Amino acid sequence: MNLNRDEIKAALRAKVVELAKALDMDASGVADDDVLPATGLLDSNAILELVVWYETTYDFPIKQEEINIDNLGSINAMADFLLSRKR
Amino acid sequence: MAAPLTAPCVNINDEFVQVVSIGVKQGDFVKTGDIVGSVETDKSLVDVVAEQDGFVLRIDCAPEQKIRVGSVMFWLGKAPDESVPLVMETVPGARGAGGQPTAKARAMLKELDLNAGLIPASGERLTVADIEAWLAGAGKGRPVSTPAHRRAIAEDAPPVPGMLEELTPEAAAMLNTVTWHRDHAAAAYLELEYDPKPWEEHAACYATAQKLMLSPLLPLMAFRLAVLGRERPSINATIVNDRRYQYRPVNLGFTVQVGAMLYLTVVRDAQDMDAARFIEALGEVQRHAMAGKLPPHEASGATLSFSSMARWNVSRHIPILPPQTSLIIAHAAPKGTGKAVLGASYDHRILTGFDVVQVLLALSRPPERAAKADKRTRGNDR
Repeated sequence: MNLNRDEIKAALRAKVVELAKALDMDASGVADDDVLPATGLLDSNAILELVVWYETTYDFPIKQEEINIDNLGSINAMADFLLSRKR
Repeated sequence: MAAPLTAPCVNINDEFVQVVSIGVKQGDFVKTGDIVGSVETDKSLVDVVAEQDGFVLRIDCAPEQKIRVGSVMFWLGKAPDESVPLVMETVPGARGAGGQPTAKARAMLKELDLNAGLIPASGERLTVADIEAWLAGAGKGRPVSTPAHRRAIAEDAPPVPGMLEELTPEAAAMLNTVTWHRDHAAAAYLELEYDPKPWEEHAACYATAQKLMLSPLLPLMAFRLAVLGRERPSINATIVNDRRYQYRPVNLGFTVQVGAMLYLTVVRDAQDMDAARFIEALGEVQRHAMAGKLPPHEASGATLSFSSMARWNVSRHIPILPPQTSLIIAHAAPKGTGKAVLGASYDHRILTGFDVVQVLLALSRPPERAAKADKRTRGNDR
């Protein structure tokens, strides 16, 4: 598994766009530092789907208490959290 | 042309036989004289033998099923893809038969599992009156069927070419649910609009205090329902054999959308939880569903349920009752209207509209406001 930061971010962005599209939203302009729950592009169900995809794709189990804005609130935060745990 | 293989007469006085075994499956090739199954009465057991070579096109009976002598058990054909008639309209040698059934007569034949070939038509076509006259002449009345005691009736394949496919486990579960709703519950629905702002403010305060990333609005509403289930036992019950079955635990069902599938996930023993524990447990269950790793105890045993379609911006949805439950709440919040809707599908055998309205009113307000409203109501009662 390639853990290049830019590639992780690109994959996360693509997943955000896909999940938003299912809700009839266009997330193509989402920025890396946008706080995802605050953008209104994804609802709670979709954010949870993103988290589960992230766990599965990167083989990276996340505890319930780790699901917070600091760790998973934005594309940058998710990439940083993953890299910090995989090092 | 497809040929029927019918149930043999075992004893002259027995009008029905019981299917003991089926020895072939659809698509098998059989030869004349092959044993394809067996039937019995109280007195005898006999083999059912193929009367011609051919492929088994369809099997119209099942082991332990009681069937009328002369009714079709199997259809055989020269080619495996031959079509089977919707209704067997004539049987060689049947007395006075011949007219094609009318649509209503065909429905009645199907309902009563009768063979059209045995019933004489008074005119060009076999009518309901012909069937009723034949039943009366044979000393039989039309059986009364009620939804709760409806017997299984084998469905004919449509007259358009196609093939039967097994259902996925999810589709089979959905079929089971809607079948219970149709056959057992006396399902009714009602709804009320409510102001969503107090709940939204309550959820926002809760999220800030607990430092939650995901909106706890729907989990908090589901938790409120679980609390109501503890306080009002009748919504956490079902009917079994005309008696109320009161559940001890509150197992809260909560629908989760995963791709195109809607799962009813279950948080068990919600009656023992506080809000924080419930939200955590529901989050775990949702993640299991989304990962395709929902264990059986998190996918069954709901006693009371909550379903939201707010994410799809629908203004109303009338959910199907999960099997052996009396209430499922439906939440909708159409965007841009400033309004939200709480609906309820309920089993009228156990709950009245009044009961359900009380639940919806209580659920439409977050806990603190509901407590204040309750206090006001008690004050007015004095």
